[in-house]
Amino acid sequence: MRCQVPRTFSRANRAWLPAFFATCALSHTAHADWTLASSAAISHDDNVGNARNDGNMAEDSFAAATLSLLQLLQLGEDYSLAAGGNLSGQVYDRLSGLNDASLEGALSLRKKWGLGAFAPWARAAISLGRADYADGYRSATIYRASFEVGKRFDDRLGLWANYGFERRRARPAEAELYGVSGDVFSQNGRSLKAGLEYLLTSRISLSLGSLWRRGDVISTTTADAYIYANSRAVAPDPTFGAQAYAYRLNGTTYGARLAAEYALSTHNLIGCAFQRFETHAMGGNDYGNSIPQLTWSYRF
Amino acid sequence: MPIKFTAGLGLILLAAAAHAAELHVVVKDHKGKGVADAVVVAVPADPRNAQRARLQLDAVDQVDKEFVPYVKPIFVGSTVRFPNSDHIRHQVYSFSPVKKFELPLYGGTDAPPVVFDKPGVVVLGCNIHDWMIGYIYVSETPFFAKTGPQGTASISELPPGEYTLRIWHPSMDRAEETTSRHVTVAAEAPTSAEWQVGLKQSIRVPRVSGAASPSYP
Repeated sequence: MRCQVPRTFSRANRAWLPAFFATCALSHTAHADWTLASSAAISHDDNVGNARNDGNMAEDSFAAATLSLLQLLQLGEDYSLAAGGNLSGQVYDRLSGLNDASLEGALSLRKKWGLGAFAPWARAAISLGRADYADGYRSATIYRASFEVGKRFDDRLGLWANYGFERRRARPAEAELYGVSGDVFSQNGRSLKAGLEYLLTSRISLSLGSLWRRGDVISTTTADAYIYANSRAVAPDPTFGAQAYAYRLNGTTYGARLAAEYALSTHNLIGCAFQRFETHAMGGNDYGNSIPQLTWSYRF
Repeated sequence: MPIKFTAGLGLILLAAAAHAAELHVVVKDHKGKGVADAVVVAVPADPRNAQRARLQLDAVDQVDKEFVPYVKPIFVGSTVRFPNSDHIRHQVYSFSPVKKFELPLYGGTDAPPVVFDKPGVVVLGCNIHDWMIGYIYVSETPFFAKTGPQGTASISELPPGEYTLRIWHPSMDRAEETTSRHVTVAAEAPTSAEWQVGLKQSIRVPRVSGAASPSYP
């Protein structure tokens, strides 16, 4: 697996690092309740470029890792404020232009109705991040906002639902075609997710999550007049080959994730998961992704 | 009344030890393996034998976001402190009918002690860390002990006489009352008792969970 570090990462994140470390510095305040967590996954996507036709589909495996640092500030009995950041990266086996490193700062307010593990809760969150890709032109500033509710019904079963908005702002490429934007990698999307977690035994848990997403999707294929006619933006995407173009379309995605996890200890979790996405993009440009995963999580 | 803190059985007997008896207990599961954290209580048939106990200040600590000890037997009327040895704050509570209470969010030793004035089982939780669970067994008798890793426990300084013995464990698959048995404890030689109990699977809110939501590619 080749590892190509995103070229612009250190420069582009220069502005974010002070914010990240400023958050860390809050640990010196009284009653700083820190949570440090890490996770990693090895995944395989059978259609990394989100292509419609079999001939254009590119599959690849990738490894991802995330380190999260969160400070919890309890605001009275019912509210808590969490501030922190995520440092993450992905390394692809073949499509090394997709390797990325990202840094995200997040702020969330959580309200809990009552005491204990079974009290319902709601959380509103905003985040600002920067993802830098090895191929450069994908690099984007990412804004997210979400609202989430959840409830644990007993020691075994918990349910949650999440509504979120995401906006990615990338540097627009020059227009290749007259009248069509080259700003492919700037995307807007909103999503609704819901899921459940169920403890099968004291160590084995199952989780099922579902996704509905509407907004911009990016499909990379060889030049195609049909998809071009429905695109909002077009730009070359040499990561997938000299003849590959990325098309930004309006689409709706339905997805599901089924996972089983095993607790090695109270801090340590390994698991496997399978994700399936079906996207219906404008003009009948439909495609699917199947993503099996091996996962590891650790919470200090 | 002077209050003294120790992490022992939760009582100091004032009775003269000259005629005291001793009870040895073994608790095993159905596979013959010793059951740790089982509480054994010895209720004297003569209530006067239980009147010479001095109340004590006990403690349940919080270490690495867990209650320590997991099971704490105390004598009814005892006071329990909840020191927090973690570098983060906890908010300890109980919904149990035997003792409902809620400590404010705190760190260190700031939390006020709690008096447990009714016998029974008190389940402890932390409002911040949902997986934290602990048990306080409030005994109506001053004669109790908790089994160690090998499933054994001893109660010493028992006044000789008739006793009803019971055991309790958080995962026991039957009611505590069904474990009752009567024994006569004599000063001459230690008395032994053994139980074999079934344990239910212990399901707790997980401390760490993976990413449950699909991540759009």
